[in-house]
Amino acid sequence: MSGVKIDGVFKRYGAVQVVHGIDLDVAEKEFVVLVGPSGCGKSTTLRMIAGLEEISDGSISIDGRVVNRIAPKDRDVAMVFQNYALYPHLNVAENIAFGLRIRKVPKDEIKKSIADVAEILGLTPYLERRPADLSGGQRQRVAMGRAIVRHPKVFLFDEPLSNLDAKLRTQMRAEIKRLHNRLNVTSVYVTHDQVEAMTLADRIVVMNDGIIEQVGSPMELFMNPVNTFVAGFLGSPPMNQIKGTLTDKGVDTNGQSILLKGGLSSQAGRDVIVGIRPEHITLKPGKASSPIEISLDLVEPLGSEALLHATFGGEPFILKADTNGDIDHLSGVDKVHIPADLVKIFDAETGRVIESDAA
Amino acid sequence: MSEGAERKPVIVDTKLSFPERMVWLGDHFKREWQLYVMLAPTIIWFIVFLYKPMYGLQIAFKDYSIFRGVVGSPWIGLEHFETLFNNDQFLRAVGNTIKLSALNLLFGFPAPIILALMFNEILSATYKKTTQTIVYLPHFISSVIIAGIVITAFSPTAGIVNTIMGWFGLDAIYFLTKPEWFRPIFIGTGIWQEAGFGSIVFLAAIAGVNPSLYESAVVDGANRWQMMWKITIPSIMPTILIMLIIRIGNIMEVSFELIILLYQPATYATADVVNTFIYRQGLQSGQYDLAAAAGLFNAVVAFVLVMTANTLSRRFSRTSLW
Repeated sequence: MSGVKIDGVFKRYGAVQVVHGIDLDVAEKEFVVLVGPSGCGKSTTLRMIAGLEEISDGSISIDGRVVNRIAPKDRDVAMVFQNYALYPHLNVAENIAFGLRIRKVPKDEIKKSIADVAEILGLTPYLERRPADLSGGQRQRVAMGRAIVRHPKVFLFDEPLSNLDAKLRTQMRAEIKRLHNRLNVTSVYVTHDQVEAMTLADRIVVMNDGIIEQVGSPMELFMNPVNTFVAGFLGSPPMNQIKGTLTDKGVDTNGQSILLKGGLSSQAGRDVIVGIRPEHITLKPGKASSPIEISLDLVEPLGSEALLHATFGGEPFILKADTNGDIDHLSGVDKVHIPADLVKIFDAETGRVIESDAA
Repeated sequence: MSEGAERKPVIVDTKLSFPERMVWLGDHFKREWQLYVMLAPTIIWFIVFLYKPMYGLQIAFKDYSIFRGVVGSPWIGLEHFETLFNNDQFLRAVGNTIKLSALNLLFGFPAPIILALMFNEILSATYKKTTQTIVYLPHFISSVIIAGIVITAFSPTAGIVNTIMGWFGLDAIYFLTKPEWFRPIFIGTGIWQEAGFGSIVFLAAIAGVNPSLYESAVVDGANRWQMMWKITIPSIMPTILIMLIIRIGNIMEVSFELIILLYQPATYATADVVNTFIYRQGLQSGQYDLAAAAGLFNAVVAFVLVMTANTLSRRFSRTSLW
């Protein structure tokens, strides 16, 4: 199987350790996204898979073969770089063919491969153009063309969309997804953009400070973050995190009580952080929800919904609400409702999630 | 201007009337006067050393006498040019200049590029620094000392070259009196003196190549040789072309100092160039008008060459000086 296995991998630059023994299995045909803030080790991990960085400890296997000591060219991977890495003196066709020419693939075969790739990526009219004469999106397509033309076992993407504007990024994101569905090649994708991670990934790997915080499907990570870091990193706007203390019935926070599904009465008195996503907060009471009083600062209309910036017991608090075509009815909001089943509780000291007694 | 604010290009609105343009220009100077103050030394240098002397060029068309001065000397048209083109020594000097420059271009121009490419392949930082220092060093040695070293090295009695030749049973040659040896010695000395220092500009160009291009090539399977040919050289080609245009512009300016120090009447047949001819005619024989005509001819040829090279480079490689 042409998956990737990362086993206890460390990366050190002299005395500085940047990746602290990570483990990850990427299944064949899977699209895995490494996401995390700058400096978390995601690009280093990707470069170690590509062979552009040496592994300090541990092992990386591709297609069941340990590649620690294998040169990048023999790993059968293709990489798409953030700044496209297109050769400015070569035209689109020559850029796409570069890897094949290096490998001395017969000319007829190269010609056919270029035509096929150009067709897939919509680059046929631009084959004679140089990178300087292309738009950002077209350049990115050429970079992808250069990767797919070699039919590698694994695609590696290093923040390929971060140089594009927001509109083009959305468009290219969809193209990458379509391409993956069509080619079905194992892909490891690095980004710091959580929207990219959520939309593209079969599984997301959230990294922070050189360790993996959580691995799971986008919805799994969104709904069940294992710690406050993941809770705060995924989702836009991020999850509200409010200090509180567990009670017999739920959580006491800022003098108000929030009900919990399942309850955590066995741990009453423990200091916790209450996590609630802005989109889970409602303006009307639900079946099992807790009303809380907030002080509204600002309403940001986004079209069909609006962001309500408020404070809750002095702490910043944000929620999303439907506008129904008008935001006037949102300007007087002073009470919102927290559904008990969607509240997450994290340990105040470690930040780890605390499962309810019923779980 | 606030930090981070984008400086807008200065574009003069061509629809403005002359008085309006003057007002615009006044405002512009008021706003940007610091920049013009910084530019002033360079402008003054150009005026004093390059533009003002142009006034004296007119003596190329005059029967110049130091007593009558530049203005008082009578016009004689192209007489000095006729004299020059009927002078075998001048024609030989032109021929020698072209031959030396062509050889210098052929061997001397690629040398710093090759050196820079070689430095780029050195992985040990210490070794790289050491070798770079060694090859940069001759540039900082005065031409007089360089010439002294060359004369000593090629001496028929104690020179290292003749000593080595002696080990192989070869007869000693007095290289510096043989016209056929002047060109190789001159070109070789020039390369030894300047190739190292000249490699700096190409090393800077190499340092500017996007590292992702190499990484991408490594993943594609390229070895170091292929990366040099397919990435490094094409990437620094604009710099190479710019340097080539500048070099072509200076084609008539072969290293005057080194020639003066190395040549002697016995080697005039291959060593006498336009500049040494001007020096002998102008300063040593006092024929300033004839020397000015020769100098003007030199400048016109250089101007035509640099224009041609720039146009060809722009047409074929999209790279040009202007």
